[in-house]
Amino acid sequence: MRSEIIMPKMGESVTEGTIIKWHKKPGDFVKRDEIIFEISTDKVDTEIPSQDEGYITQIFFGEGETIEVGKVVAIIESEPGSTSSAPAPKTGEVKPAPEEVKNALPETAAFASPPPPKEEAIEISATVDITMPKMGESVMEGTIIKWLKKVGDLVKKDEIIFEISTDKVDTEVPSPEAGIVSEILVAEQTTVPVGTVVARLGGSGSVVKVTTVPEVQTPVSTSSMHNIIAQNVNSQFQSELVLTVAPSGNQSSRFYSPLVLNIARTESISMGELENITGTGLGGRVSKNDVLTYLKNRAAGIANKPVTVSPVQQYTAPVQQTVSQSSQSASSFANFSSSLPADAYESIPMDNIRQKIMQHMVHSRDTSVHVTGLVEVDMTKVANFLTAEKENVLKQFGAKLTYMSFISQAVVKAIQQFPLINASIDNNTIVRKRDINLGIAVAIEPNGLIVPNIKKSGEKNLIGIAKSIAEMAEKARTKKLTPDDISGGTFTITNYGVFGTLFGTPIINQPELAILGVGAVVKRPVVIEHEGNEMIAIRSMMYLTLSHDHRLIDGMLGGRFLKAVKDYLENFNGNLTA
Amino acid sequence: MAKEYDLVVLGGGPGGYVAAIRAGQLKLKTAVIDKDNLGGICLNWGCIPTKSLLKNAEMYDNLQHHASDFGISFTDLKFDFGKIIRRSRDISDRITKNVEMLIKKNKIDRYRGFGKLTSNNTIDILDAKGKVSETVKAKHIIVATGASPRILPTIPVDHKQIITSTEAMSLSEQPKEMIIIGAGAIGIEFAYFYSVLGTKVTIIEMLDHILPIEDHEVSETLEKNFKKRGITLYTKTSVERAEVKEGKVEVTISREGEKSVLSADKVLSAIGVTGNIKGFGLEELGVDIFKNHIKVDKNTYKTNVDGVYAIGDVIGPPWLAHVASAEGTHCVEVIAGHHPTPIDYNNIPGCTYCQPQVASIGMTEKQAREAGYELRIGKFPFMASGKAFAIGEREGFVKLIFDAKYNELLGAHIIGAEATELIAELGLARSLEATGETIIKTVHAHPTLSESIMEAAANAYGESIHI
Repeated sequence: MRSEIIMPKMGESVTEGTIIKWHKKPGDFVKRDEIIFEISTDKVDTEIPSQDEGYITQIFFGEGETIEVGKVVAIIESEPGSTSSAPAPKTGEVKPAPEEVKNALPETAAFASPPPPKEEAIEISATVDITMPKMGESVMEGTIIKWLKKVGDLVKKDEIIFEISTDKVDTEVPSPEAGIVSEILVAEQTTVPVGTVVARLGGSGSVVKVTTVPEVQTPVSTSSMHNIIAQNVNSQFQSELVLTVAPSGNQSSRFYSPLVLNIARTESISMGELENITGTGLGGRVSKNDVLTYLKNRAAGIANKPVTVSPVQQYTAPVQQTVSQSSQSASSFANFSSSLPADAYESIPMDNIRQKIMQHMVHSRDTSVHVTGLVEVDMTKVANFLTAEKENVLKQFGAKLTYMSFISQAVVKAIQQFPLINASIDNNTIVRKRDINLGIAVAIEPNGLIVPNIKKSGEKNLIGIAKSIAEMAEKARTKKLTPDDISGGTFTITNYGVFGTLFGTPIINQPELAILGVGAVVKRPVVIEHEGNEMIAIRSMMYLTLSHDHRLIDGMLGGRFLKAVKDYLENFNGNLTA
Repeated sequence: MAKEYDLVVLGGGPGGYVAAIRAGQLKLKTAVIDKDNLGGICLNWGCIPTKSLLKNAEMYDNLQHHASDFGISFTDLKFDFGKIIRRSRDISDRITKNVEMLIKKNKIDRYRGFGKLTSNNTIDILDAKGKVSETVKAKHIIVATGASPRILPTIPVDHKQIITSTEAMSLSEQPKEMIIIGAGAIGIEFAYFYSVLGTKVTIIEMLDHILPIEDHEVSETLEKNFKKRGITLYTKTSVERAEVKEGKVEVTISREGEKSVLSADKVLSAIGVTGNIKGFGLEELGVDIFKNHIKVDKNTYKTNVDGVYAIGDVIGPPWLAHVASAEGTHCVEVIAGHHPTPIDYNNIPGCTYCQPQVASIGMTEKQAREAGYELRIGKFPFMASGKAFAIGEREGFVKLIFDAKYNELLGAHIIGAEATELIAELGLARSLEATGETIIKTVHAHPTLSESIMEAAANAYGESIHI
């Protein structure tokens, strides 16, 4: 008779428990309902009774270890050290321990009659590196918000393993393969470049061995054995680092010379770091000198990108790193506000998205020469059309018309007339884009901002644009935007009019060259001319502002562009399919 | 009214004519001024005519010493010195005419005369009598006036018995004895040429070895070869003076304090070159000059005078035609508003065309050690190459120097047949930042001499198959 003692589920949402104390050790006899260990979960602390009678032959986890619900923590058998009752291991299922592990456990060999290895072996392929995924074209780094798995945990393929935050999106990252987490290399709240190895699965099979190497006569040695194995695994990975951390050229669209890759490998420079190094070699290639300069700067701590500590260092001191990071930010804050008494303020750590917005705004202001032009637009025709036709259009085309539909279409038409607006500056080159990917700034509660764009807006008619806007808004609201949706924009519209703001001077969304600010549509008395007579009338008026980059777009082009938008809106002819 | 150009190039050597053609390609309105045939020293009095002389020597050398190995026999092997010189001059003439055609094809105006800058955008063109025949204006001026053999007062060149390379390649008669002062590429090539033809050659070099800038193992190998040929070598020896006495030249040398006097029909002074800076109006214009060379910014080749650029030998070492051409191209691209990647002066091949040939790129072993690198050195002797065996060229070796840490190819040194052709692969390897492994894993054709490069790399990593 052989039975397994598992970590019990102590409530709906409880997924793991920590063993606080073992009341029994291997070799001990337990009666049914006798307490064998105590656990602590995030809900309750409790004592776990045995469900069977027998001798404890194996204990797999030491005190203080946190174990997933459902995992086997110990084995009870009818006879102490019995071998007869245990099923023979199935050939091929249990992997032999690698040399290193065997050597680390000489006492195993001394057992006269060791109990058979536990049958349950987990099939683990080679080491799998889990890297920081690329969440969009321009996303170069991500912050690990939360690890959902720990070292030693079993993960299934596609099971969520960690959560990240980037400047574009927050998302959960699934595991690419099944396996056991053998290493976590990057601590929570740490930002690393895209492509950095953040964790590893299995590989050496050592973790599996923990459950397969029998332990009978050395009570409470499970944890020490764990340590030995952990050390072993560690040193093994350290020596393998050279081979496995090597950035591989095919992850990148850039060319890296064999020498550059060699240096990166030797100095543990991740692919993400490499991607961020400015190349000064032939054709902008990253040369040996560029990498060596980067290394020097990194050593001096002046790398502009987040310093990526080498994986081994991170493995050994993730906690310290988190602490030092937070204390660093706290201290810099303290400097800033040192003149205030401690109770006069509340310090709120900035989340990742806020930090990114902050950086992007400063970057844009430092890059583009912002000038802002303003026009007043009579929206009466559009307003009247909306009042009269909105319902019909919704019924007939399934498209919800709003002011934004008309303004967006007006912008597309104006860009087609003045295509230089739809460009970027690359050093001394003007990059004029063929597609109009119209970005619409969307506020995200409580304090986010995202700009999804409508691809190939130039190929859509008013109905198409209206539908696309509704689709994007829905995706943004339900957090379903893909990296593709938020990259590749060529011109942005921001509608602060929804908050009642009359006009503003928006900041350009880099690397675009202009942004249209949409003010509130309000009824105002204005002078109009009708059949040669001037009169005062009540009209639906709106201010549009265009912030444009004076490096390329002068007042003339900016003014003409605005005029074109205005003319479209004021003379809207009711044609929905144009 | 003076004709106006975007660019006027002063000097039509391998720096100047290449710059002009590149400018033509980039649609700049360009002119090139040179009082002589285009091609400069390189095509007229340097690279090309000497290579044709050396081919004669190599053929004669092979027939004389190795024909019987190949089962070829003859009686009365002779050469005609005058014809050897004429062949070399003919080749030079024809190749310079080709350059004139290239200039025309690229719609570049060619002025024959001596150009003199009168401002940073005006050049007077002087005729043979020194009279201004024409004046041209230019937005940009590239000075590519080259260099001439350096002459020391203690070695008074008379161009008859104490000569420079120019005379050495156009002598009417073969000298019986020749003393060559300076064991750089020029001195070594003439030493090989004349000694093969039977002249008694003595080389005097101030530094430790002949070809002193090459890797010491290469120099030592060549020294052995030259001694076997009967060339007398005086290294660590300085020349006190040379003087013509009774139809001979007497050279007083000093070796570790000991003086002695040598004598020969001809003395070739091959002690380097010096920039041609006189008479072009450069000093008057205030162009910065340091030790007979124009100072430039080597990213743009701009001088301190706005609109005036300088390239090639006139800006100083390395005095090599291929460097001048690269600088010319780069400079014109800068003028045209491009942003070319600066020239990597650590990656310039150097070649000497004696037999065995010598070619190298990057650091010597000594330089690499002095720079603090830990080295992995791979050597492969041509003795172990099947192809070298087959063609009877078993002398020499390939030596590759790698940084042990990152496996960078720091330097490559070849002495042996076709070394000057083989070096190109290693230049490419270095500019693409190949590592030892890249070279080892690049399949080289069999049987070739180039396999020796792969084997030398493999040797550095203990993987060489054939040694």
